[in-house]
Amino acid sequence: MTDLLPPGPRPTPPTPPSTPAAPGPPEVLVTGRRNPSVFLSICSLMVRTQVTRTRLIALGSLSVLALVVGAALGSGRVRNHLTTGTEFVNLYGLSLLVPVATLVFASSMFGDPSDDGTLVYLWLRPVKRWKLVLAAALTSFVVTWPLVVPPLVAAASLTKGGTDLVWGTLLSATVTMVAYTGVYVALGLRVKRPLVWGLLYTFIWEGFVARGSTNAAKAAVRAYGTSILHQVTDVPLILSDVDYVWAVAVPLVAGVLGLAYAVRRLHKMDVA
Amino acid sequence: MTTDRIANPPQDAAPAPAAPARPGFTELTADGTAIDVRDVSKWFKDVVAVSDVTCSIGYGVTALLGPNGAGKSTLFRMLCGLTPPSRGAITVLGGDPRKDISLTRHIGLVPQQETLFEPLSAFEFVRLAGILHGLADPGEAAVKALAIVELDPRDPRPLTTYSKGMRQRVKVAQALVHDPEILFLDEPLTGLDPRQRLHMVSAIQRLGAAGKCVVVSSHVLEEVERFSARVLVIVKGRLAAEGDYHAIRDLMDDRPHRISIRTDSPHGVASGLLEHGVVSGVQLLGPDTLLVETNDVQAFRHVVASVALERQTRLYDVQPLDDDLESVFRYLVGR
Repeated sequence: MTDLLPPGPRPTPPTPPSTPAAPGPPEVLVTGRRNPSVFLSICSLMVRTQVTRTRLIALGSLSVLALVVGAALGSGRVRNHLTTGTEFVNLYGLSLLVPVATLVFASSMFGDPSDDGTLVYLWLRPVKRWKLVLAAALTSFVVTWPLVVPPLVAAASLTKGGTDLVWGTLLSATVTMVAYTGVYVALGLRVKRPLVWGLLYTFIWEGFVARGSTNAAKAAVRAYGTSILHQVTDVPLILSDVDYVWAVAVPLVAGVLGLAYAVRRLHKMDVA
Repeated sequence: MTTDRIANPPQDAAPAPAAPARPGFTELTADGTAIDVRDVSKWFKDVVAVSDVTCSIGYGVTALLGPNGAGKSTLFRMLCGLTPPSRGAITVLGGDPRKDISLTRHIGLVPQQETLFEPLSAFEFVRLAGILHGLADPGEAAVKALAIVELDPRDPRPLTTYSKGMRQRVKVAQALVHDPEILFLDEPLTGLDPRQRLHMVSAIQRLGAAGKCVVVSSHVLEEVERFSARVLVIVKGRLAAEGDYHAIRDLMDDRPHRISIRTDSPHGVASGLLEHGVVSGVQLLGPDTLLVETNDVQAFRHVVASVALERQTRLYDVQPLDDDLESVFRYLVGR
C-alpha cells in the first residue's frame, strides 16, 4: 500500500493485548487465516446484517404457533387426523409460514442494501455477480429452512396425521421454499418495498387470483406445494391438480430462473 | 490528456498557449490521463442530468464541483460505473468501468450515503473490503487503512455507534484498503471536525502526490482549493469549466478582479493607481482600506509597489478578494 500515513510518529500495528484490561476482544484482529473465502464472507455479512433479532423472534413465533396448533389438533377430537393435519399444513404452513418467512429474509438480502445504499460496498468489488446472488440465496435458505420447516414438520407430526403427512410436509415446504427464495431474492433487486409486493403476491395472487383461474394458478408457487402435499397424502386440496413430477420440478426451475434474473439484474441495475 | 479549459470564454480573453480542442474550449496544459469522458449524456426519462460532457482526468487530485442538481453526482456515479451513460463513453484505465468488473480492483470509492454494514466493527468492515478485493492479508491491510484515517482497529464497537465523522473515516479506509490507483471521494470532508479535515486534506494531497488519480466531489470549496488546483465545474448538466482554477479565473477577464488594500494613505494610493491606469474602479472602505478593481492583475502587482514608493506610503496588506474557488464557482454558475 502507498505510504499515506501522516508525517511524525507512525502508528504501530496493534498487537494482541498483553493485559486482561486491554480494550476489545483480541480475536478481532486475528489475521492468521489468510485469504478467507469470499463466498463465506458474503454469507456471514448477510447473516449479520439481515438476520436480525426482531425478524427471528417474529418468524419464530409463527413457527411456535404452528407447533401449538398442531398439538391442539392432534389432541382434539377430529374425524380424520390425516385430513385435518394436511389441511392445516396447507392453509397455515404452505400458505402463510413458508412464503412469508422466505419473503422476509430472501427479499431483504439485496432489498435492504439497495434501499440504504450499502449495495455499493458489494457491487464495486471484483466479485462475480453470480457469486453474490448465490451467497444471498444460500444464506436466506440456510436461515429460513431450520426456522420454518422442522417446526412445521413437527407440527404435522403432532396432528397425528401419520408418516405420509410428515414426509409430504417436509417435501412440499422445502421445494416451495427453493422457489420462493429464488423469486424473492430477485424481487429484492427489482422493486422498491419488496416486502409489500411479496405479500401482495402471496395473499392476493396466490390466495385469490390463482383459485379463480387455472392459468393464474400456474404462476402460483403455492399450487405446486399443495399438489405435492396432495400427491403424498392423497387428501384432496384446492389447487392440487399438478402432476407430482411437475409439482417438484417447476418450483426448482422457478427458483433457478429467479436467481438467474437476479444475476442479470445485478449486471444491469443502477447502483445508488 | 488533461487540459485547462473554460467553456465559451469571453471574446477578449487572453490568448491561450495551446490550440483549442474544440470550439469554445481553450487548452492550457497537458499531462497523463486516467479517466476519459467522451460526449457523455445521462437522462432519466425527460430529465437531462448530464449533457454532452467531454473531459479527461489525469493523475493527481481533481475536484468535481457544482451546485446541487447540476449533475455532479450523476457524473460521479458514471465515472465509477455505478450507472451507465445514456449516450457517450467513459473509459477508466482503458476499460469500461460499467462492464469490466476487474477494473474495480483499481478503484476505491467513498460514497456519499452514510449507511454502512451497521453490525460490523470498523475493522471488520474494512477487512471485508479487503477480502472481497482478494487481498493476501486483508486484516493487515485493514489495520493500515484504518491507521491512515486515525481509527483504532481494535475498537470492537459496531459501526451503528459511530459518529458521522467516524463513519466518514471508515468509508475512506475501506476505499484505501486495496491501494487503488483511482479514488473517487464523494464529499469526503462531510462530518469531520476541523482537525480531521486538516488530516483528510493532507491525506488526499499525499494520495495525489503518490501518483494516484483522486477525484473529489465537494461543496467545501475552501478545502478543495487547498488540495486541488484542478477543478471540473458542472453547471446545469454541462461542463462549465475544466482545469487549474487560477487559470480559469484568469480567463474570466470579462469581470474585474477585486483587491483590498490596507494602507496609511488610501487616497494617495487610489489616485496613483488611477493615474497609472491599472485599475478600473476604486472604493474607499474605511480610513485605511480601499477596494480596487482591475482587469490586469500582473500589471497591478507591478504598479502598486511603485505607487507606494512614489507616494511615500506604507502598504499593510494587499489581498485579492475573489481569487478563490468560491468566486470562480459563483461566476460560472451565474453565467
